[in-house]
Amino acid sequence: MKRRHFLKTFSAGVIGARFASPSDLFAAAKEGSTVLSIVTGEDAAAAASKAVDALGGMSGFVAKGDVVIVKPNIGWDRIPEQAATTNPQVVAELVRLALDAGAKKVKVFDNTCNTARRCYKKSGIPDAATAAGADVFFVDERKYKDVDIGGEALTTWPVYKDALEADKIINVPIAKHHTLSRVTLAMKNLMGLIGGARNRIHQKLDTSVVDLAAYFKPSLTVLDASRVLMANGPQGGNLADVKQMNTIAASTDQVAIDAFGATLFDLTADDLRFVREAYERGLGEKDLTKVKLIEQSLS
Amino acid sequence: MAAKKTISTLKRARIISQTLFLVLFFFLLAKTEYHGTDIIAYPVKIFLELDPLILITTFLASHKVAVGLFWSLIFVVLTLVLGRVFCGWFCPFGALHDFVGSLKKWKKKAKPETRLDTIGVKVKYYILAAILIAAVFQIHLVGILDPIALTIRSFAVGISPAINYLIHGVFDLLYRTDIGAITAVSEPAYEWLRNNLISFGKPTFQQGSFIGLLFLGLLALNFVRRRFWCRYLCPAGALLALLSRFSFLNHKIANEACNDCKICIATCSGGARPYPEEEWRGSECVLCMSCHSSCPTQAVSYVFGKPEPSQRRTDLKRRYVFQAGGAGIASLALIRLNPVRETGNAQLVRPPGSVEEQEFLKRCIKCGECMKVCITNGLHPTFLQAGFEGIWSPVLIPRIGYCEFNCTLCGQVCPTDAIEHLDLEAKLKRKIGLAFFDQNRCLPYAFGINCIVCEEHCPTSPKAIVFEHKTVVTEEGEMEIKLPLVVPDVCIGCGICEYVCPVGEKAAIRVSSVGEDRSDTNRILL
Repeated sequence: MKRRHFLKTFSAGVIGARFASPSDLFAAAKEGSTVLSIVTGEDAAAAASKAVDALGGMSGFVAKGDVVIVKPNIGWDRIPEQAATTNPQVVAELVRLALDAGAKKVKVFDNTCNTARRCYKKSGIPDAATAAGADVFFVDERKYKDVDIGGEALTTWPVYKDALEADKIINVPIAKHHTLSRVTLAMKNLMGLIGGARNRIHQKLDTSVVDLAAYFKPSLTVLDASRVLMANGPQGGNLADVKQMNTIAASTDQVAIDAFGATLFDLTADDLRFVREAYERGLGEKDLTKVKLIEQSLS
Repeated sequence: MAAKKTISTLKRARIISQTLFLVLFFFLLAKTEYHGTDIIAYPVKIFLELDPLILITTFLASHKVAVGLFWSLIFVVLTLVLGRVFCGWFCPFGALHDFVGSLKKWKKKAKPETRLDTIGVKVKYYILAAILIAAVFQIHLVGILDPIALTIRSFAVGISPAINYLIHGVFDLLYRTDIGAITAVSEPAYEWLRNNLISFGKPTFQQGSFIGLLFLGLLALNFVRRRFWCRYLCPAGALLALLSRFSFLNHKIANEACNDCKICIATCSGGARPYPEEEWRGSECVLCMSCHSSCPTQAVSYVFGKPEPSQRRTDLKRRYVFQAGGAGIASLALIRLNPVRETGNAQLVRPPGSVEEQEFLKRCIKCGECMKVCITNGLHPTFLQAGFEGIWSPVLIPRIGYCEFNCTLCGQVCPTDAIEHLDLEAKLKRKIGLAFFDQNRCLPYAFGINCIVCEEHCPTSPKAIVFEHKTVVTEEGEMEIKLPLVVPDVCIGCGICEYVCPVGEKAAIRVSSVGEDRSDTNRILL
């Protein structure tokens, strides 16, 4: 399903949702069906906040005293405008929401592809997240623990200690083009929580990504599509490849998020093998017609 | 005769000066690393820029001098006025020698000079002569033995990594205790150290053990003689000794006060034989002030006046100088016997901004700063890949560390512009080599398995790795795989592809130097 078609199909639902009161929406979220909250607007932080609100607010995902990981993409030595790393404002906003919801501690980190110090600095995420109250740190090779992921491609694999110990994981990927998996969205972003020979994962990338999604099961996924990298992903570099989409999507269903993410690239969920596999393994809903959609706009 | 327990003000001033400069040296060395800014304001090259020997040999060898090196004229003037303050008061290697020398309890009794002293003292001048003559013939060997270059290199690739290794190990051990009370203190301390003082990661270097041991060996020679290196081997000391012959600061012993105890000879760290006057080798004096401090009758003083060249000059014997020069020239020819000079060397991927190889060899002083600052631990000292004259010059080994796309640090810290400081825009386009697939090892080619980790990491935009789609038949049926290809025009040779290639030991994509921008001959395309 192409994005335009998808939006057309759901325009009725969208209009309905736009005027719905938050409590109605909360009730809707509780009905059990997958809810996908989409907010468009230039202010990415406000959009993220609104998108989470539509799901009933952060307190639905974070309990008092929780240790929470907000997991952005900090993988590359690129500035936010180059759309290779998650929008720092979105990350900071989620940190703030989690702390407001009573989180004891919010941790932000990523296992980077370029040198960590450069990626962190360039991404702007540590500054923004720290200001919002997060504990931002570099991964430390000592803190990986071999665990049984129990996946189809990944069995025993080193996972970062903090990810093992956290009460909640909030995944905050950015939507990007990727040559092998076609796009990289929510599920693939979880690769930042593991260590080991990640460069071998490409050989069974789709299945591995689904293994990670099944293992980590984030409490909430917020897809940053404020700026989307349409080509030369996943690290880009050329501003001409970046499309300003001013969109933030949030859901507890990471498969639905990735199915929606596909439409941003004029792809369908079924075009993405990892989405198909994740659906087949019962991790979430890939059929967006079966998803309860709440689309709002900031203006 | 018992020595005085206290030390004189002058000696104390010397020790304070040495300590301050040594601390400054280590501080700058620690700052010669990425600390979150793209520009490093105070790299440790400042110490090299104050070294007159580097200025002279770089000028002779390359006829081009990085502007910063003119700072060393400060020490030329200081030496002409005061004598070898560089050696005694400034040089970090000298300070380390003094420190190690002080660990041994020396007899307070003067011993007569041995053959080691009388012959050894001349050796450094012959070394200097050989280095200068080689430089005239544009072979730049100074970095091998220049004290500052040697110290920076030894710390950069040997000593610092070893210290790092130990510190990381200690904190690792504390971490593994898993006792909250300990890790609550040790972990923040560790993080602070990593961000400020020690290396962020655990860099290791080819030949690091060898270069480090060589350095420790030189320090250990202090147990044979105080400042063994400075007395007998240091070419910079030799140069400054020549300059100091006419300095205005003169060493004086008041004969009426002197009680002939000769403790000044025993405590002299330069082997200058302060007493009697006819044995005094003024040029060997590093102004350590030990004679001044140890003299029980305060007979020693330093006074300004008309330059009084000491009675006893080190007799270099013109014959030997010529012999050293001759040996230098003969070895020049041998050094130049290096076929790789003409053909280029596939493994010799130089850092971005490096000037053309022949010019590079004339400029590089093998100080190792670029290796220290390289954020990926990708730059390493060569052994003989660049010929003998290129020993310990920097080479990128992508399997160990790649050239980080947005980083320009190596060019910033190079003291001699062997690696020119490129601005970011120029750096992003600078080709240092070219990547080649080894189709016998590359997963899609060799086994029909999708991979393209190399493409994912390729930093250029558009990417220098593209694909051909191919349908292969495997046991699981027909499969579409992506066969990667390098676009030679776009590839800059940064080597991240080789670094991340999942094929163990020898990567399936490897960078070689061909196509590097700096060479007109080491080319590949029309």
